[in-house]
Amino acid sequence: MDSNVTKMDFSQLRGKAEPGSIIIAVGGGKGGVGKSFVSSSLAIILAQLGYNTLAVDLDLGGANLHTCLGAPLCDRGINEFITNPQLEFSELIQSTHWPNLKLISGSSENLETANVTDVQRSSIMSSIFRHKADFTVLDLSAGTHTSTLDFFLMAQHKMVVFTPEPSSVENAYRFLKASFYRKLRRYEYQLQMGPMIDELTANRTDLKIRNPSDLMRVISQKEPVLGTKLKSLMSDINFEIILNQARTRQEIDLGHALQSTCNKYFGFPCQFLGGLEYDNAVWQSLRQRHHLLMANRQSHLYAQLMSIARKIAKVRQQNNSVA
Amino acid sequence: MSERYDGQTYYELLEITPNSGPGEIYNAYQRARTTYSPSSPALYSMFTPAEAQELLVMIEEAYQTLSHQARRREYDERLGLVGPAQPPRSTMTQAAPSAPRAEAAVAAPVLVKVMPKKDELPSGFARTKFSIYEVKPEMEQEIASIEECDGKFLQRVRLYSGVTLEQLSDEIRVVKSTLVALEANDLDALPVAVFTRGFVIQAARAMGFDEKKITDAYMKFFKARKVVK
Repeated sequence: MDSNVTKMDFSQLRGKAEPGSIIIAVGGGKGGVGKSFVSSSLAIILAQLGYNTLAVDLDLGGANLHTCLGAPLCDRGINEFITNPQLEFSELIQSTHWPNLKLISGSSENLETANVTDVQRSSIMSSIFRHKADFTVLDLSAGTHTSTLDFFLMAQHKMVVFTPEPSSVENAYRFLKASFYRKLRRYEYQLQMGPMIDELTANRTDLKIRNPSDLMRVISQKEPVLGTKLKSLMSDINFEIILNQARTRQEIDLGHALQSTCNKYFGFPCQFLGGLEYDNAVWQSLRQRHHLLMANRQSHLYAQLMSIARKIAKVRQQNNSVA
Repeated sequence: MSERYDGQTYYELLEITPNSGPGEIYNAYQRARTTYSPSSPALYSMFTPAEAQELLVMIEEAYQTLSHQARRREYDERLGLVGPAQPPRSTMTQAAPSAPRAEAAVAAPVLVKVMPKKDELPSGFARTKFSIYEVKPEMEQEIASIEECDGKFLQRVRLYSGVTLEQLSDEIRVVKSTLVALEANDLDALPVAVFTRGFVIQAARAMGFDEKKITDAYMKFFKARKVVK
């Protein structure tokens, strides 16, 4: 498995601090499933609901969130932050058509920034973590690059966008598996369980370890105390599933099946947040470079996005009332 | 019967809480069957067809247990969700009222054995759907040898078997006033022969007597009276 886990991980430092906002990461493995559309729409609706929201384009090699939001090209974005250490994070923020919504764009002519170093990545993550707002929405890139996984794992809401096609399902699952093992690597280093987990994965056939759920169970059997600790550390990895571009009712129901499969496979509760209908109006509005939600509020799609946004807002309210 | 799959209880397998009612269990079962069917797109690259098949078998087993009141109760006891002698929590099933549920809980382990005993009444007794009555040989003899009888006799048979007019009316779907007219020989209030005959057949059958014998005997009387009139 990947061994270049950063040892200068900021997660331990961050673990002591409270994040400045509720971070929502939108990932999904495959390209073209609608990550940017979902993240931009959620950001807009959360802003419309009255929350101060920041949308960050973390698709470092293929940024286009600004296009989805209908924002102009900007010469100061996340790429400049990476290359210029003098630049403050707050200087990157640009305003949008929506009063409560701010954007950090990824548009740039800098062609080198898709490959960030561990230090650069950690610096981006800490800046996002410290940024004060109600919500921060991260639009991630396709694929399972370690930067993408780390950005995904830093969020409280880890959303995965599926479409009802086998290729998307396969890639999204791969993305989830990669995230799981990335997180496991981080904690096994902290708990010094690395050699033991390596031994277990080497003997996976004999021990009947077919999936993460089996692995966690075997760890708990061998090391009850550390196993329980690891399990509680891993349990905040509650993936949230969004099913995009559903053309029929059955395809929306697929979301529940995906949730159940993830539950069984990973052994911790994943949540199906909701399905989004396929709507030609999306690409039509994209061609005109303004967001669908600028004008069209009578569609099913708007209602479905609103329902997802309200679920997230509700979690925030509950957490606040507990605090 | 294995109790757990991969450390999961049946409830976890169907992704429901132990408080779920029968409707929720059924819905969860249907959902799980669709999810883990061989053609399900959600399994792709996560579970092999063999693993999915194994899950399907477990799901079936889970449903067979949880959908059956006594088996579910027994399973809950083994999981330690309920104590053996305590009445169950009222939240166990929303559908069933708590009193019959408590009764079932006590009887549950021997329920299957109780059922065949239904026929083993003390000798000299018989039962209908509604009642248990003492068998009187002379009455049985009279019914067996009857050639012609009127409504009064039908009433005697009904009272002998301990069935009320209300129970009979509910069972054979004939209004009580018609049954009263039948027993009072009020032929004007009764419909034509073919319907009346049907009522008598149904009534005799509901009380567990030889329906042909009684109906033939009554229809003799009925037709004779109708002709006289």
